[in-house]
Amino acid sequence: MQWRGAVAGLFALLAACGPAAAFDRAAIAGWSCAGASGMTEAANALIFGVASASKEDAAWAAALAGAALDRTLKCGGAAPAIETPQGPVDAVTLQPGAAGDGSAPLLSLKNRPLFETARAAATLFVGATPGERSAALGALERRAASLPTDIFERAADAETDAGLKERILGAGQAALLNSPDMTKRVAAIERIAATPDRRALTRIAALKADPAYGKDPAFKAAVDAGVGSIERWLAVSNALNALYNGLSFASILFMASAGLAIIFGLMGVINLAQGEFIMLGAYVTYAVQEAMRAIAPGALDWYLIVAIPVVFAVTAGIGVALEATLVRRLYTRPLMTLLATWAVSLLIVNLVRVAVGTQNLQFVTPSYITGGRLVMGDFIVTWNRLFAIVFAAVTLGLTWFVLKRTPLGLNIRAVTQNRAMAGCVGIATRRVDMMAFGLGSGLAGLAGLALCPIYSVNPQMGSNFIVDSFMVVVLGGVGTLAGAVIASLGVGQINVLIEPLYGAVAAKVIVLLMIIVFLQFRPEGLYAVKGRRK
Amino acid sequence: MTAAIGPKRSLIARATDDRIVAGVALALAATAAALLAGGLSGYRVNTIGQFACFALLALALDLIWGYAGILSLGHGLFFAIGGYVVGMHLLEQSVAVTGITPDIVQFMGWTALPGWWAPLESFPVALAAALASSFAVAFAFGWASFRSRVSGVYFAIITQALVYVAMLLMFRNDTGFGGNNGMTGFQVVFGLPIQDPAVTKGLALASVLALLAALVGCRLLMIGRFGRLLVATRDDEVRLRSLGYETLRLKLAVWCLSAVLAALAGLLYVPQVGIINPRLLSPELSIEIAVWCAIGGRGRLAGAIIGAVLVNAIKFALSASLPELWPFVLSGLVIVVALIFPNGLLDLGRWRPTLWSRADALQPTDATP
Repeated sequence: MQWRGAVAGLFALLAACGPAAAFDRAAIAGWSCAGASGMTEAANALIFGVASASKEDAAWAAALAGAALDRTLKCGGAAPAIETPQGPVDAVTLQPGAAGDGSAPLLSLKNRPLFETARAAATLFVGATPGERSAALGALERRAASLPTDIFERAADAETDAGLKERILGAGQAALLNSPDMTKRVAAIERIAATPDRRALTRIAALKADPAYGKDPAFKAAVDAGVGSIERWLAVSNALNALYNGLSFASILFMASAGLAIIFGLMGVINLAQGEFIMLGAYVTYAVQEAMRAIAPGALDWYLIVAIPVVFAVTAGIGVALEATLVRRLYTRPLMTLLATWAVSLLIVNLVRVAVGTQNLQFVTPSYITGGRLVMGDFIVTWNRLFAIVFAAVTLGLTWFVLKRTPLGLNIRAVTQNRAMAGCVGIATRRVDMMAFGLGSGLAGLAGLALCPIYSVNPQMGSNFIVDSFMVVVLGGVGTLAGAVIASLGVGQINVLIEPLYGAVAAKVIVLLMIIVFLQFRPEGLYAVKGRRK
Repeated sequence: MTAAIGPKRSLIARATDDRIVAGVALALAATAAALLAGGLSGYRVNTIGQFACFALLALALDLIWGYAGILSLGHGLFFAIGGYVVGMHLLEQSVAVTGITPDIVQFMGWTALPGWWAPLESFPVALAAALASSFAVAFAFGWASFRSRVSGVYFAIITQALVYVAMLLMFRNDTGFGGNNGMTGFQVVFGLPIQDPAVTKGLALASVLALLAALVGCRLLMIGRFGRLLVATRDDEVRLRSLGYETLRLKLAVWCLSAVLAALAGLLYVPQVGIINPRLLSPELSIEIAVWCAIGGRGRLAGAIIGAVLVNAIKFALSASLPELWPFVLSGLVIVVALIFPNGLLDLGRWRPTLWSRADALQPTDATP
């Protein structure tokens, strides 16, 4: 039985290599039940036949390979059958009615990767979603050298998703890299160099060890040109990555320091507990997540959006309470306010530490900010950082609107410019202070929400941001949004740009020195509000 | 602080006008005498020595905050400069006397202590280096800040950023001062083994006497012309400048003096605890120094000493029994002092129970001594 299967398999193999051969379904299903060597034949037949198979045959190949892998292929009955949730089906026709008894054939260590390759190859043609096909491609890329090259070409022809099509072609070229035909190899090198990423670099750089590199000058030139071009593009994409990370850091910094700057401009005090409002924002986000998990698990993905008003309300409320009980009583003593708000921050950190614990909080990453998009080279626009950036931009817009287009904003600006005169014309300056303090605290809370998907959240996290926020306030000047925006961008970008060159610490040192030098020329910051000096 | 109208009074009479200062000075002298007489346990002696260093540090801050109205939230920087220089001195001396290679050589991956540390083996050189380097740092930073008229809250948060950056810098191994581990394993102080009770006693005595000398010296300085000009700077700098005084020089002078005193405190502190690491540079410690002054009371020198000793006494007592309670007690103390005693415990005598006064009633200012 076995030798017959093996011989038939060999014939099938030869046939499959020829043009437009359809699967001999019955034979392949039979071999799958014919022990280890039969299964090898079956898998090879699937792999080599799938490129030229019809759509139904490819779907059948995927089902059969999958069944062998998942151990739902049953060999005990009269004909091989596949167990499905709807009952057993015939392994040849995929029609119901088979007797699904017997045991699944054992996959040997050698056969498992073959069947995996067969399933991936079939899925590449018939996978329902681009995601499925992309995963299949990922599996195939690892074994590209042992695959018939026409798999990639035909799959690329059939592919509808443009991005995936590019990748399939790339994988095909990678397989061609090892082809004996030198012109094909050179063409493949150029093709791979056109999509510059780290993997392409290692792939082409590895060719320097190839014997042809020393012998064939055309091949050597192609490899060197490819490596050079990829390295150039990688440098560009690394720079873009740094800029992008800097932008997301700056976004969070902006939300943390805009509140500080508004309050400082208005009342002349710095809230040293601002970092703890960020932390509270993150903890409230966590509370919302847990509440949604308990009440509406189906909508858990949307907790970040649901949390926005909750976080703002809670942190702004705490800010208003802090202003009314403490800051207001110290308003002629800004230096004492520093110490008092520091005491509040110490209190908040330790309350959270006692109540929740010191461990990092675990956040569910919602599906809409998972992953990212590869733009070029290694530069990936990750959705979680994009979320922070967009969120900060929207917050900036809303804050600008509040400050410039609402009565509250008008009052804040008036009191910032001249407190005594604003009081004289009937503005309730204490009330304005309270509202502004709430606004600033709410902004810090939103910063905490935005950083949940990016940074780790624990009771001490506030101190990571507070000193950078100071630098933003000092650099940007007080009481203006524009200053806070530009200074956060500056501080954020300088931090991440210097970091890869000299390390994170050097970045902070350089930022501080630059600020001290800068203050020699503009002691009031970038944008000084024209008003009475306090 | 009555104005000197009438016949000129003697310096001693004027210096002892403030009974609390005189009392604290007497108490310090008594402590020194008690240390000399002996009979205290080694732990007690060591604690007294540490408290004296903290008090000296608080005194240094009170000079600039209480008298010149400049709040520094980064005074730990100067404290640590003194500490690191004396740490290098102690390591050099330990190697010279015992020949044992200290741990720092091992975990820094060196073969011996860096060559440029060698001159610090002599104590006078180390003392001069500590004071000179803290003076240099203070001068450079103070000149840059005061020249551009950075003051008040701005100045406070920049000093906080300064100490934070210094902490990050010292946490790195590449900076060359032991990184995260800092310096420890000191064996010898002035040729004697560091565990010798005589060393403990000598260090504590030196700290108390240094504090006493600083208190007397600063008091004399502050009742003189310099002190009055400082108070004038604090109360109305613009007017003083209009009158033709160069306030930049005044502020720079008191700022550098304060930094040097803080370095001296660090220099005395490190041999007593036997370790120096970047945690001395944490922003929290620097804020705590200001808290000691605020709780004790600013602008009278004695308040800073009382505050430092009191707060640290509570801290030491709590960290032995209930360490997790300490942050709550500390924040509670600060909030109570901020709300009820605008000028710290020195206000106790003047305090009337008007806890819920109207918020916009006439309030004391930062400048109120």
